[in-house]
Amino acid sequence: MSYAYLFKYIIIGDTGVGKSCLLLQFTDKRFQPVHDLTIGVEFGARMITIDSKQIKLQIWDTAGQEAFRSITRSYYRGAAGALLVYDITRRETFNHLTTWLDDARQHSNSNMVIMLIGNKSDLESRREVKKEEGEAFAREHGLVFMETSAKTAANVEEAFINTAKEIYEKIQEGVFDINNEANGIKIGPQHSPTNPSLPGSGSSGGSQGSGCC
Amino acid sequence: MAFLEWRKFHFFDLHPNVDDGKLSELFKENKITTTSSGNNHLVLSDSLGQIYLVSRSWHTSCFRAYEISVDFTQQMTSAPILVTIGQDEPGVNPLIKVWDTSRLDKNGSPYCYRITRALPGNRPVQVSALCVHDNLQLMAVGFIDGSLIIYRGDVTRDRSSKQKVLRTSNSFITGLAFKSTASNVFLFVATEALVVVYNVTQKDKEQKYHLDNIGCAKKCCVLAESMQESHFMIGRDDAVYCYTSDGRGPCYAVDGEKIALEWFRSYLIIISKSTRSTNLTAMPASNENSINQSVVNETNSITVLDIHNKFIVFSTTMPKIKAILNEWGALYILDEANRVYHLDENDLQSKLSLLFKKNLYDIAIRIAKSHQYDSDGLVNIFKQYGDHLCDKSDFSGAIEQYIKTIGKLEPSYVIRKFLDSQHIEKLTMYLQALHKRGQATEDHTTLLLNCYTKLNNSLGQSDNLKEFILSKDGDFSYDIDVAIKVCRQGSPAEALMLSKKHEKHDWYIKIQLEDHRRYAEVLDYIANLKFEEAEHYMRKFGTVLVENAPHESTRLLKKLCTDYKPAGAECGPLTGNFDVTVRADPEEFIHLFLSNSERLIEFLEHLMGEGSVLSRPVYNTLLEHYLHVWSNSENVSDKNKLSQKILKLMQNPDVDYDKSQALVVCHMNSFKDGICILVFNGRFGHQEPTLWVQALWSCVRNKTNPSMDLLNEILTVIAKEKLFSPQLVVDAIGTGNANVTLGHIRSYITNELQQERKKTKEIAELTANYRRDTDKLKELLGKLKEDVVEIRGSRCAACHHTLELPKIHFLCEHSFHQHCFQSFSDDENECPTCQPENKDLLELLKAREHNKDLHETFHSHLEKAPDGFSVVAEYLSRGVFNRYKIIADEALQKTLEMAPERNNNVKREPATELATYGAGAEARLRQSEVKSKPRAAPVSEGRMRTQEHRYSHSLEANMEYWKPKSVAKSAVKSNPFQGGGVSCTNPFGEEDYDEAKNPFNDGEDEDEDSDRNNPFREDLRPF
Ligand SMILES: Nc1nc2c(ncn2[C@@H]2O[C@H](COP(=O)(O)OP(=O)(O)OP(=O)(O)O)[C@@H](O)[C@H]2O)c(=O)[nH]1
Ligand SMILES: [Mg+2]
Repeated sequence: MSYAYLFKYIIIGDTGVGKSCLLLQFTDKRFQPVHDLTIGVEFGARMITIDSKQIKLQIWDTAGQEAFRSITRSYYRGAAGALLVYDITRRETFNHLTTWLDDARQHSNSNMVIMLIGNKSDLESRREVKKEEGEAFAREHGLVFMETSAKTAANVEEAFINTAKEIYEKIQEGVFDINNEANGIKIGPQHSPTNPSLPGSGSSGGSQGSGCC
Repeated sequence: MAFLEWRKFHFFDLHPNVDDGKLSELFKENKITTTSSGNNHLVLSDSLGQIYLVSRSWHTSCFRAYEISVDFTQQMTSAPILVTIGQDEPGVNPLIKVWDTSRLDKNGSPYCYRITRALPGNRPVQVSALCVHDNLQLMAVGFIDGSLIIYRGDVTRDRSSKQKVLRTSNSFITGLAFKSTASNVFLFVATEALVVVYNVTQKDKEQKYHLDNIGCAKKCCVLAESMQESHFMIGRDDAVYCYTSDGRGPCYAVDGEKIALEWFRSYLIIISKSTRSTNLTAMPASNENSINQSVVNETNSITVLDIHNKFIVFSTTMPKIKAILNEWGALYILDEANRVYHLDENDLQSKLSLLFKKNLYDIAIRIAKSHQYDSDGLVNIFKQYGDHLCDKSDFSGAIEQYIKTIGKLEPSYVIRKFLDSQHIEKLTMYLQALHKRGQATEDHTTLLLNCYTKLNNSLGQSDNLKEFILSKDGDFSYDIDVAIKVCRQGSPAEALMLSKKHEKHDWYIKIQLEDHRRYAEVLDYIANLKFEEAEHYMRKFGTVLVENAPHESTRLLKKLCTDYKPAGAECGPLTGNFDVTVRADPEEFIHLFLSNSERLIEFLEHLMGEGSVLSRPVYNTLLEHYLHVWSNSENVSDKNKLSQKILKLMQNPDVDYDKSQALVVCHMNSFKDGICILVFNGRFGHQEPTLWVQALWSCVRNKTNPSMDLLNEILTVIAKEKLFSPQLVVDAIGTGNANVTLGHIRSYITNELQQERKKTKEIAELTANYRRDTDKLKELLGKLKEDVVEIRGSRCAACHHTLELPKIHFLCEHSFHQHCFQSFSDDENECPTCQPENKDLLELLKAREHNKDLHETFHSHLEKAPDGFSVVAEYLSRGVFNRYKIIADEALQKTLEMAPERNNNVKREPATELATYGAGAEARLRQSEVKSKPRAAPVSEGRMRTQEHRYSHSLEANMEYWKPKSVAKSAVKSNPFQGGGVSCTNPFGEEDYDEAKNPFNDGEDEDEDSDRNNPFREDLRPF
């Protein structure tokens, strides 16, 4: 399918906070109650529309376990957006946010949009982290904040789409160097301004779209 | 570490030595350099430049492909084409050769299509990777310096081939893979330091995309193609990284230094260096000789990763592995010692049973699904899973599984498990699901609703039931009637809701009435229905409603019979059919008011007020109930008011009521005024003379206000019509309470007396005359008998000439010449002169005789006659009823007796034809039968039989006409043969008639015509 832009996201956060569930909810619209540990990095993609433009989101859902940190770190660099997830029912996942944020800032490109997500908002009775705390943390670190539930799908869509909007705005503002794929943004085949001089590119790409997925 | 996180199963078996050691025999001296497989054979190449093609039966054929060595081979899977790169000369001089393995030359070696030198630029560089596209139009060769040559055009033809040299990087190219999408062709290139992808769709427009800054070792990359999204995978020590043409994809953390990656079905096979010596023990026992192998101490581990389900389906360690070969749908592993192992995937069933043993049902389900297991099989797993969860007391989990079995598994299986009251919530869930799927039977609905009710009671969760009931029609499918029935017992409110929602008016009304006795609600409800329904339900439930909510019901009924509109729709603007106002027939509802006269009156008055023209029975009823109320009411003023009303009604010319019935009713309730009105209206005067008498009675009994005019009128009529003897009138007036003085009736009495006197005189005169006449006749008779009759006649009465002999004398003193007499008379016994007179007389008598069976005339006479008795008397005098009763009796008896015997020999005689109708006729026949039995009996019987039914008709008719009881009785008792046709049983014996006076009993002279006198004739249909 053809797209105007391809944005790459990474989802990070402690193990068990619901990263994989968020992805599954976003891509497949379903919820998996059994915890299937992510071993390595899982991957999902979905098309969204922003400003009447087709945007393909490619999302890396990383393993939260410490053991996989070295593997997952390498994924920061190619991402334009990150969902930093904690579990509102487990304070320690909130406490680890700074570590995650440092890690992300260190290994990603500086323009990466980071969305802070307090997941499992459906488990209000077991809440350990107040919404205000999350908001405060986000304000302090310049993040966008949102509470979601991968179970009920509340705010899941919004979390991904708002991040994309943010990235899109940054592109419009010229903050992102869209020609550097390391930023996690790719221009769709037919929109590619990189090689407009190539004689065939216009005719070939226009109808063909991306070969992948 | 991370490695351990994968779930592990054992879905493969490793069978060693599947080739019986043939290959190790073959490669004793030489070393296998490269392998490939496809097109129904394995391709093994050795360091001496020879290529071995191995068939499925491990049969090998060998040919020399290169002088020095074979370095790379690729056997196309779908074509008998083998592409190789090797050395024919010493030094760096790689040659590409393309072979047709299906065409062998005389030496037994395959036909070689082309030989091409592989040189990136002008420098000789060692080849490090080879990849041929399946379409046989693209071929890529990678070199150790990072250069890449792409050959376009038919790989089997040298000349058409165009080559392009690309530089990926400076690092050793370790792997190449083509991937075609609908519109693009990509070439993934893995080097030791990075991964790139080229879009090679168009010639000379190859575009390079950088994918990653990490690379992999030789053989450690593979294109995983059987998934929805194919990935190029590279194996690194920490993990297997995947790429799409857009960049990085997922990554599987599998530890260990990778030696090779292979893709098989949906499995990733990872061969890595085994780091843990402890794993040696995990080696299959059959491999014990590998431990003896002292050549290499190193072992490899083989891991099969199910990418789709994310678990390891096989892992073991084994001696160093040289190659993995994928052919014939199976996986073969070749170790350094050239031993061949078969890595055999278990069939689904054994996988599942393995999982079941471990109670890993969720995984079993996942696997079954990814194997496209049939739904029956899946249901079986769901069931087992459910059972297992049940055993573990995870009932909600179990129900979740059982729900998935709906449609296949018999619901009773599940229901039985959850019938215990503590599982009621789960059972409810299941039943709900059952309904959602439309698989529920009536019983299930019943059960579910009962569950709801129970939950309601115990937990106060009343919402479920409501939700269920209020659910959209499509959500749950169930039998509404059953649901209502069940709800009615447990939660009546819901039953009502349900019936209202589904417009089960019957139920709604029934429940409201029978369970709640909410009559007003029911009436409101009915008032909201459409006319037809409202009418129907009023008719159906009206009795109860009127009984219990008389006022409201009456109001509704009034509406129904005048201008009914559903209450809800009253203000609706779209009353397009307002002119077609349907009205219910009030008659239909009258019976509802049987015990409530007031309401009925109200109802009917309303209807009349609305200008409805009611039918005669309705008016009758109204009158009747008026009177009923009137007679029951104690209050005098009420009574008066009512009587005014009644009288008004009776005098209303528009009101068409049955007067006679009215009369009866008035009578019953002693409503004298009514009787008077009926009488005065003159409609009964002549028909029912007794009315006048009654009027008289009522008049004289009325103590309060005797109306003298009335009295006079009555008396006049009585006098005129001779209804009542004056004596009785005086009696009546005398006994009455009314203040009637003699003066009031004086004129009447005088009148009466005068008349009486006049009449007496007349009669006296008449009597005198008759007496005189009689005396004369007696005298004459005496003379004729005793005296001598002088015949003095001298002239012939015929010719008036003097008589001469011979002559004839008659006692009437007429004489004739014999010749005159002979020519004049018809009858020699009669006097021709007297004959006309006699004849007239006889005819008169005959005519009289004849008249008596003209019943219409009789009746009309009777009706018209002021004195009916005289008419009857006259008719009797003509012998009208002569022996009638006997005859009738006989006939009936006969009919009854004959009926049972069925005899078909029907014989008719013309002689009896004229008398074949009427009971009288029958009687006549009986008579003749008695007289001349031999002749008549069969005839009459035959005729009777043919007409059995007709007689039974007449029986019925008679029974209606006469007092049925006595007729029947007499009919049974009397014997037709008794007394030779003259029955002595008088059916009217018990009646007002005196036996002696019985007109039916004294007619002795039966003649042929007696049947004609049958007064029943008009009840019998002549044929
Ligand atoms: N109630 C509730 N449970 C959730 C939600 N999101 C995730 N979970 C549960 O949390 C557990 C962990 O979810 P995952 O998505 O597998 O966690 P993860 O972040 O991917 O964990 P790692 O892969 O180990 O990093 C699962 O059992 C989920 O069922 C949520 O929004 N609400
Ligand atoms: Mg995960």
